[in-house]
Amino acid sequence: MINSKQIQCPQMILVVDDQELNRDLLGDILEEKYELLYAENGKEALEQMREHADKLSLVLLDLMMPVMSGMKVLETVREDEELRRIPIIVLTADRNAELKALQLGALDFITKPFDVREVILARVDRMIELSEGRQLISAAEHDQLTMLYTRNFFREYANRLHQYHPEMQLDAIVLNIEQFHSINALNGREFGDEVLRFIGKEIRSFLEETQGIACRTDADQFNIYCVSDGNYQAILDRFQTKVNMFSYTVSVRLRMGVRPWRKNVEPLLLFDQARAACNMIRGDYQNPLMIYDEDVQMREMLNRRLLNDLQMAVDKKQFHVYYQPKYDVRVSPPRLCSAEALVRWQHPNLGLISPGDFIPLFEGNGMISLVDSYVWDEAAGQIARWKEKYNFSLPISVNLSRADIFSLELEEKLIGLIKSNGLSFRDLKLEVTESAYTDNAHRLLEVVARLRELGFEIEMDDFGAGYSTLNMLSEMPIDVLKMDMKFVRNIEKSETDFRLVELILDIAKYLNLSVVAEGVETAGQLELLQNAGCDLVQGYYFSCPLPAEEFEKLIQHEVKIKRG
Amino acid sequence: MTLRELYTQIDGDYDQAIRVLRMEKLMDKHIRKLTKNSVVDKLLEAAEGMDPVQLFETAHAMKGVCGNLGLVRLSGMASDIAEEFRPGNQRKMTDEEVSRKIAEIRAQQKKTLDGIRRYEEA
Repeated sequence: MINSKQIQCPQMILVVDDQELNRDLLGDILEEKYELLYAENGKEALEQMREHADKLSLVLLDLMMPVMSGMKVLETVREDEELRRIPIIVLTADRNAELKALQLGALDFITKPFDVREVILARVDRMIELSEGRQLISAAEHDQLTMLYTRNFFREYANRLHQYHPEMQLDAIVLNIEQFHSINALNGREFGDEVLRFIGKEIRSFLEETQGIACRTDADQFNIYCVSDGNYQAILDRFQTKVNMFSYTVSVRLRMGVRPWRKNVEPLLLFDQARAACNMIRGDYQNPLMIYDEDVQMREMLNRRLLNDLQMAVDKKQFHVYYQPKYDVRVSPPRLCSAEALVRWQHPNLGLISPGDFIPLFEGNGMISLVDSYVWDEAAGQIARWKEKYNFSLPISVNLSRADIFSLELEEKLIGLIKSNGLSFRDLKLEVTESAYTDNAHRLLEVVARLRELGFEIEMDDFGAGYSTLNMLSEMPIDVLKMDMKFVRNIEKSETDFRLVELILDIAKYLNLSVVAEGVETAGQLELLQNAGCDLVQGYYFSCPLPAEEFEKLIQHEVKIKRG
Repeated sequence: MTLRELYTQIDGDYDQAIRVLRMEKLMDKHIRKLTKNSVVDKLLEAAEGMDPVQLFETAHAMKGVCGNLGLVRLSGMASDIAEEFRPGNQRKMTDEEVSRKIAEIRAQQKKTLDGIRRYEEA
């Protein structure tokens, strides 16, 4: 083991005295142990301090000198953020100057005539040790990027505030950046750091106006423990407005979870709850503020239960796969051409749970792979059964989540499914969401390219729902673009939305991709999409997701048409 | 001549000096440097114009240097002048008394430098 004393930086001392003899004397005392610099007056001393600010461990400063006095040096250093960290010991024969020098920031004195060699050395050693210790603590106390407290110090200070200042009634606020990993991936780590630094600065500025403390916990998560007037929306608006001004070109969206003060509740619990509230609105751009209350508490308990019950649900086959048809609308009447496999959870105690309640939850911690894998198995088996029963091949698309893409067994698993069910690669389509691209574009491109080489058809799901870039479209080797339902929703009423849909269709055509419009509910929407050149349509207009046995009727109908 | 004998001749405190520098080699090096050092001369120059600020600053510097070398007599004399002219202090001596003190310093300086030269020659 290497002890900390062995990892010592070289220590440099600046000796400032106008008398050469005094400088030499100190030099002889200190040179064995320290690297030394010398200055004859205050002006030279400041120049040396600026030049070697990051290396200087200590300054020994005479007070009375020509050109610039030691007192003037102390005054200048006190106002200088960079120089202030360098400890200064004053050299003086004048007891009267001690108080003023201390008030100006000197840490100790060496009196003239100089004390015995060992005393001088011991005082210098001790002062450097103390100062380095203080600097280490200060570095550990503050997050260097945002200059807010680090997590451990924040926790300690929050506990002290709770314990010794219960009258302050501090709220717990957790602030988070939506899809920060995407911001980093698309704009570079440096930009991401700039965003964090900016938010740190704004939080510090906020805390100048109210009583409180703050820290950065995870990469993009900030905890604020502060007195507030209860207008949390105003606090979030303030931060969001500032962040908008910081970057006009990159959209940085904040979300905030709040746990208002409660008597005798420790900050640790308050922040757990504020964080739970904040996590609950992940990705919900319409509602970026969540205040922890009983509903949130219930939801949190439900989430815990769902996480807990997941493995049992897989083992006991509580997940049910539903199929939503996709229709080819280039022909009249539209024809069934494929389906998307969608999952529902029939919980023995909680009843039918919608995917919106558990998929984002499992995606958040990677457990979604268990559900995906379950759906792949079921869907592959179903394709095989229909193939055998109707001699009809209906491709079914399944989701590939971010966690699946990072799994090393992905290809093996999918190939195994195709082989064991006697399918062709074209029978199972794979849907990838665009957010996977921003996580680790390189890995995603690699995986998708290999899967395509095998023969799988790749669909990009929810295109336009998040941080889409044209760059991604040109790089990703995909076959089908699934236009997010939010584009379709208003095309009958909004000219702009319809123009956007036309634009996406044009781009897709240019890139030789088919387009599936999701969420089509009305005949009007269908007509507009058909006229604009959309290829396939999925949505309640044709059918809601159906259990296999009900979906089978659609197949029977299609088979009948086919056979004339 | 030994260093201790030199210190006795020039009214210095050998023990005080060795406490700071620990080794005679270093004491030897620094006491020799005094012959080329102008710290006492500067006080003598300042005394010619009787400028109180100059007198205080030069006396203060001389007190420090001589004190560090264990030259207690010279250092004490410089201290008297420094206190006499310290800003804010009431003057206690007449200009004639100051001049007498300066003359004593000059004589003590000569005695010290002569002693050091003899030490060097020996």
